Amino acid sequence: MAQIEIRDLGIDYRKPKSNEVFSAVDGVALSIERGEFVTIVGSSGCGKSTLLMAVAGLVNLSRGSIRIDSKEVIGPGPDRAVVFQEASLLPWRSVRGNVKFGLEMQRWNGGDLNERAMQMIRLVGLGRFSDYHPHQLSGGMRQRVNIARALAVDPEVLLMDEPFGALDAQTREIMGTELLRIWERDKKTALFVTHDIDEAIFLADKIVVMGRNPGHIKEVIKVDLPRPRDEAVLDSEDFNNLRRRLRAHLAEDMSSMQLVQEVA
Amino acid sequence: MIELFYRRQALFLGTLSMIGIVVLWQIAVDGGFINPFFISTPSQVWAEFIVQFEDGQVAANVSATLYCFAWSMGLATVAGILLGMLAGWFPDVEAALEPFIWFKYSAPTVAFYPLFVAWLGYGTPTIIAIAFLFALTPIYANTLSGIKNTDRDLAKAARSFGAKPFDIFLRVALPGSVPVMMAGLRLGVGRALTGVVVAELFGANAGLGYAITYYGQLMQTAKMMVSIVIVILLGVILTQILSFMESKTDSWRVDSGR
Repeated sequence: MAQIEIRDLGIDYRKPKSNEVFSAVDGVALSIERGEFVTIVGSSGCGKSTLLMAVAGLVNLSRGSIRIDSKEVIGPGPDRAVVFQEASLLPWRSVRGNVKFGLEMQRWNGGDLNERAMQMIRLVGLGRFSDYHPHQLSGGMRQRVNIARALAVDPEVLLMDEPFGALDAQTREIMGTELLRIWERDKKTALFVTHDIDEAIFLADKIVVMGRNPGHIKEVIKVDLPRPRDEAVLDSEDFNNLRRRLRAHLAEDMSSMQLVQEVA
Repeated sequence: MIELFYRRQALFLGTLSMIGIVVLWQIAVDGGFINPFFISTPSQVWAEFIVQFEDGQVAANVSATLYCFAWSMGLATVAGILLGMLAGWFPDVEAALEPFIWFKYSAPTVAFYPLFVAWLGYGTPTIIAIAFLFALTPIYANTLSGIKNTDRDLAKAARSFGAKPFDIFLRVALPGSVPVMMAGLRLGVGRALTGVVVAELFGANAGLGYAITYYGQLMQTAKMMVSIVIVILLGVILTQILSFMESKTDSWRVDSGR
């Protein structure tokens, strides 16, 4: 059986003013194998972040179920760690303090916290900056800390919610390559949300394309580009074909969105 | 570098204007433009200061005032931070305390003075009680808003690592509120001192406020001005100490324009 099994998943929200109920995600079914790198793409409002947060155990499910290693997800757990968008680091803690944070919250007892934190900081290439505070770091460096914090707790599944969304294009590319380098070490199952098509292809074994109203899965695309990958793959024929296919998907979504706006 | 230059320039200009006022004050009286009965002169005030300093009045008044200040500020800090933390974390507590805060903001605290006299008598306990109420509000309000406005993204990140509500309070809400709490304490210090001096004006037998009314009633302006100047200096020094502590605690804030 797959490591992550999502069945008939539905998540409803109540609009704060009108009290109207709407579905952020509906009828989502997805299986993810151990060690797979899965990216989730879709235009904004397609429920891709909601789906990720559901796997993280941070939102309540309205219908269906999520199982990880056949255990039902009912809340956050030490088998998962989340890399958030920017601004999720504690600004009053140093890099090391931030990487220790997850370990402290999980009451980690696998040895010296400092040692563990420093190991992770070196892994993401910030060895010299362990005493810096987040406001002294660039956006890319902050996201390295974010990744180190998640990896430190040694999760079975790594969940990433547009972690490079706030970075400039160039830094983003570098971070993507870095992430793959780190991931190649022990190939933990990874779920990565993005709206960037190139990023989605570059990282993935499997791309989940989502659509809106309500958020649902349109297609799951297998990516067979050889690993380990570097920037050269971006210019390959296979990559271009995938890019074209994804673009078509997203363009379709955009035009239907415009249509809705015009009708309304 | 440029910033330092401007800070120095600001300090220089501030000092210059202070000196200017003092000089003008002296000239205005010496030149016969203003009756010294109303405002005395800097040189007379200085002379009186030396007299009061040597006969021990300054020490006695300052220590009486600081004694009440320390008690009221200490109590207000403990009560304000505890209540503020509770109200910031539990919306029900905030709702229950809300009317008292409206009260405190809209009604002058001194109005309660006679009531406190009835309960506690003239003197130190009443002065401390009044100053306590003066200082309580900003400390409470700032602690409350610091805890209440805990960054949701940070709380969510903490939850994702399995943090329990109390972990979030202790490791996210509380440290994140320290700078706002310090700002509350800084405001509280000024208010506590004001509270002490105002209460001393009405009923005390020692303290700077007492000295101000005492000499004021005797129409001895220069002697009175000595205590007024000391009160101002105390206020400035205490607030500066707190400002300094505040700047130490919020160095991690990106927007701390210091």
